[in-house]
Amino acid sequence: MKTPKNKIKANENYSEGQRNFLHRKKLYRISITWGRILFLFSFLLLWQIAADRKWIDSFYFSSPLAILQLFYEKMSSLELPIHISITLMESGISFLLIILLSLIAASCFWYFPALGQMLEPFLILLNSLPKSALAPLIIVWMGTGYPTIILCGISVGLFGCILNLYQTFGQTDPERIKLITTLGGNRLQAFTKVVFPGSIPAFISISKVNIGLALVGVIIGEFLAGRQGLGYLIIYGSQVFQLDLVILSILILCAIAVLLYGIMNLLERKLNR
Amino acid sequence: MSAILKLDHIAYSYYSDTGEVKVMDNMDFTIENGSFTAIVGPSGCGKSTILSLIAGLLKPTDGFITLYSNDFAAPKIGYMLQHDHLLEWRDIYHNVILGLEIQHKLTNESLALVDELLEKYNLSHTKALLPSELSGGMRQRIALIRTLTLKPDLLLLDEPFSALDYQTRLLVSQDVHRIIKSENKTAILVTHDIAEAISMADHVLLLSKAPCQVKLSIPIEFEKHGISRETVRDSKLFQDYFDLIWGELQNENTEK
Repeated sequence: MKTPKNKIKANENYSEGQRNFLHRKKLYRISITWGRILFLFSFLLLWQIAADRKWIDSFYFSSPLAILQLFYEKMSSLELPIHISITLMESGISFLLIILLSLIAASCFWYFPALGQMLEPFLILLNSLPKSALAPLIIVWMGTGYPTIILCGISVGLFGCILNLYQTFGQTDPERIKLITTLGGNRLQAFTKVVFPGSIPAFISISKVNIGLALVGVIIGEFLAGRQGLGYLIIYGSQVFQLDLVILSILILCAIAVLLYGIMNLLERKLNR
Repeated sequence: MSAILKLDHIAYSYYSDTGEVKVMDNMDFTIENGSFTAIVGPSGCGKSTILSLIAGLLKPTDGFITLYSNDFAAPKIGYMLQHDHLLEWRDIYHNVILGLEIQHKLTNESLALVDELLEKYNLSHTKALLPSELSGGMRQRIALIRTLTLKPDLLLLDEPFSALDYQTRLLVSQDVHRIIKSENKTAILVTHDIAEAISMADHVLLLSKAPCQVKLSIPIEFEKHGISRETVRDSKLFQDYFDLIWGELQNENTEK
């Protein structure tokens, strides 16, 4: 069995060649990480120099230092933390609802195959629809506010998520379902014992995509119906020509997307262990 | 010996867009309690379909399947598939008790039987391991124990060694035979391997091409000639049985 104890023991017994190989591999990994840091730093430095030397117009393109200063000010006044937490809350709720509704729908479609086959073309149709086109309709129907924004967040990922989960469930090896039948199980037990647990790796991958899509949907909703949140800040900043604020909000959105993706990756690793 | 299973004029067809395919017609045979029967036949003749019909996974188009029991309860059937299908997300112990979980029979008595079986067949140390940490042979033994925990009266073995390499296959088939005999179970083995059928079974049923019927029923009588099951492959009698079955199969394949 692989235990940490065994690993330590194995390290002690490594040959010179194996140690050199591992050392070269480690050096390569370190060089890649530092390369990334250097690339980002060079980009920011070049941007700052370009703004300082007037190679670019800092009114339109801002500069890293100006953005940093604005970040500090908005954080001190607690304005930014409120907007960030609202966007995070809306994205979180949208994501959880996408996952929950998709799980319910895909499970029903697997359990009742005729229902799945009947509704599949409609799901494909809804999935291929540009969701931003639906947003004005949702505002007319539901007005402005959180429910509208969350519905926008859900609409972007829901149909694709249902389709992907339904296909994943459908790809379960029929022999595994036969195993449950031969052990005296019914279709519900086949689902709970084999189909769903066997789909968890794919389910995590689908969730990784959908956490990003929920954020996209929420930003679309905040553009059109928000009074708070990063999407609202972007629209507000562009309307008053405060482009520092627009770029700052976009950068924070990037950071949030990376953070959420990182959390899902951690969850995936924990579940795969 | 009393009968445990009787197939009476069984016919089975399946239907597709291109027409009806008759898999078997007039299939008749009886399985005695405590016997080990092997079914061999040309590829695609419907050997596995027979097991699916007995297990109730398929319904015959015509005829009767009768299962006999010594008590009032219906005889229980255990089914072992071509692959072990151990679930990767469950450790070995939880794979073994899967059937008990499904049938809501996780009693102290049944869990004691699980421990006893694992102990008896030297697999106790695998309880906490994942299926990927076991060899193909061990996995197949675990799959058999998973079936045995449900105390089946009749075991259906659908080419259970076909996914194993030749050497493992020889070892595991011997082991499985030993386990089934020591647990005093009735078994039906479907296989395309003539040598495997002769070395494990007390009786070989040779099927014709589809729509299949029993072409020949051959009693395998090593014990009568004082040959132990471990050494049957070296005996002249084994070769005689092999030649007989192989000859019949060749005739079947050349017949139009």
